[in-house]
Amino acid sequence: MEAQPRPSLAAAASSTQPLRSEHVVRLREEQEKVVTGCQEKIQHWMKVERDYEALQERLTTLPDKLSYDIMVPFGPLAFMPGQLVNTNEVTVLLGDNWFCKCSAKQAVGLVEHRKKHVRKALDDLKKVMKNFESRVEFTEDLKRMSDAAGDIVDIREDIKNDIEVKGKHRTAHRPHSKPKTSDVFEADFIDDPKSEGSFLSEKELWARLDELERQEDLLGELDKKSDAVFVNGDDISSSEEEKEDQKTAVTVKHGVTDSPTQDSFQKDITDSKLLSGQVNGSSSYSDDDDDDDDDDDDDDDGLGVGDNCVPTIYFSHTVEPKRVRINTGKNTTLKFSEKKEEAKRKRKNSNGNSSHSIPELPNIRTPADVYRVFVDVVNGEYVPRKSILKSRSRENSVCSDTSESSAAELEDRRGVMRSLSHDEAACTDASEGILDQQENQQKKLLSLSGKLEAFSGTVIEKELLSPVIPHPGTVHPVLPTIPERKEFLSEVSEETTKRISKFKAARLQQRN
Amino acid sequence: MRIVIPALHFQDHGGIGKENLSKSMSSRQKLEAQLTENNIVKEELALLDGSNVVFKLLGPVLVKQELGEARATVGKRLDYITAEIKRYESQLRDLEKQSEKQREALAQLQQEFQRAQAAKAGSLGKA
Repeated sequence: MEAQPRPSLAAAASSTQPLRSEHVVRLREEQEKVVTGCQEKIQHWMKVERDYEALQERLTTLPDKLSYDIMVPFGPLAFMPGQLVNTNEVTVLLGDNWFCKCSAKQAVGLVEHRKKHVRKALDDLKKVMKNFESRVEFTEDLKRMSDAAGDIVDIREDIKNDIEVKGKHRTAHRPHSKPKTSDVFEADFIDDPKSEGSFLSEKELWARLDELERQEDLLGELDKKSDAVFVNGDDISSSEEEKEDQKTAVTVKHGVTDSPTQDSFQKDITDSKLLSGQVNGSSSYSDDDDDDDDDDDDDDDGLGVGDNCVPTIYFSHTVEPKRVRINTGKNTTLKFSEKKEEAKRKRKNSNGNSSHSIPELPNIRTPADVYRVFVDVVNGEYVPRKSILKSRSRENSVCSDTSESSAAELEDRRGVMRSLSHDEAACTDASEGILDQQENQQKKLLSLSGKLEAFSGTVIEKELLSPVIPHPGTVHPVLPTIPERKEFLSEVSEETTKRISKFKAARLQQRN
Repeated sequence: MRIVIPALHFQDHGGIGKENLSKSMSSRQKLEAQLTENNIVKEELALLDGSNVVFKLLGPVLVKQELGEARATVGKRLDYITAEIKRYESQLRDLEKQSEKQREALAQLQQEFQRAQAAKAGSLGKA
């Protein structure tokens, strides 16, 4: 995976790297200049100090004799024999054209005083040298880093850029929403094993969806890493992203998830995650999203490189509602999603107006919209469940209860999910940006949600699913309004893809 | 000198302004050297006592000075030098501000130029 993105990233990195290396080289040169200058100055001052010490020595020995016979320098080229008298009298240049006559000892004192200054200058220069040496080391390290790790940095930047660009596309829809790819994926996993229909085609689509969602998650994660709420969701998304990494394997794993899905939804999620973990060779998913998140993030970062060329990036993760996991005790976690909130609101609105779903239909861009639509349509006919994954008691809560204890609810949810998955899948596909699916699903959704009959069609689907579903306790499989989870969305998309024919049949029914 | 370098670098843009900047910088550095020297002289004069004869070099002549007088003179010179440094610093700051303004103007002009170029390219592209 990394090899593929590397070339593309390297290309981008190369554009920046030469600059960096150039800068670093230049910085190094400048620093070296400073260092050499400092060294020169230090040499100079040391010489001065040595001269002063020699002078001191001379001054101490000078008064030993009253007069000395010396060769006096006469001009620049001649010497003359002469005498050095008044050996104790020294005219000292104090500086700035000031002189003073001093005894030899006073002169020695003056020289000592000057040496103090010289030593001070030397110390300062040595300090500067030290600082610059450390700086030089740092620049060297930087150089090495830029040479060696430039790719990494560039990759990240590229990813971020790509993600930001693509994420922003999605944020336009929902500024605070986070791609529920995780939800969707989980739903996929859950549904896939359960719905033993023609998963192959769906799996392929799901694989694609997973990829897109994963990338979106990457984008979302990168963009919204500060959202602690998303941690769990990120974990899931990250796990899902990993799943995306190996879609084929994931699809294969779908069948494997049959058994685990029966337990609890959460387990299903974890199982799906496990699958992804297995797929990716990381087996730390079980109930350990955080760990996976880290790994996933790393992997995602590495994989994100591939996002550059992946159209899936256009996955509108922003469209999908946030997925937040809130521990509510008793192994229950509420999954909060803005989409659900919106869906709930719309449901509330739509509940009052069951027929309002139709106008929403054309605007269905996200699974949440689908849910809303479904809720509207379902009014009266279907229990308006706020979230497919939620327990009935939490209908009005924005969060979806993922407590494992609510197995029955999970089962119902599953059924609903399955039924909803059709719609959701359609919606997710539409929202997720899978152009092919989008158009088809949107159309289907529109046609389906536009009329109650559409749900009747889903109901039919549910019946079909009943044999597949181990716990067909859910009487309201169609409640698409359920969860704004991406899982459902993915499931829905899968189901929609599976049930294209059914939808078509429904549509036909409707038309007829 | 590093400060002088950027000042000189701006000469391409500012011209005279930058030259003034560099001149001020160099003169300020000279003053700083004089400041340190005079400080040393003051300290050494403090070490001397009345028995020493102090001379001042005026051209080729060593003029006898009194110790107290010498100290006072050196002190006054020091004050003068510090005042000069302050003046030069303010001057430098003003010159820097001027150069900054010039740079900003240049940048704005460049931006406008680029915008015009982009607009031109865009219009050409569209056309």
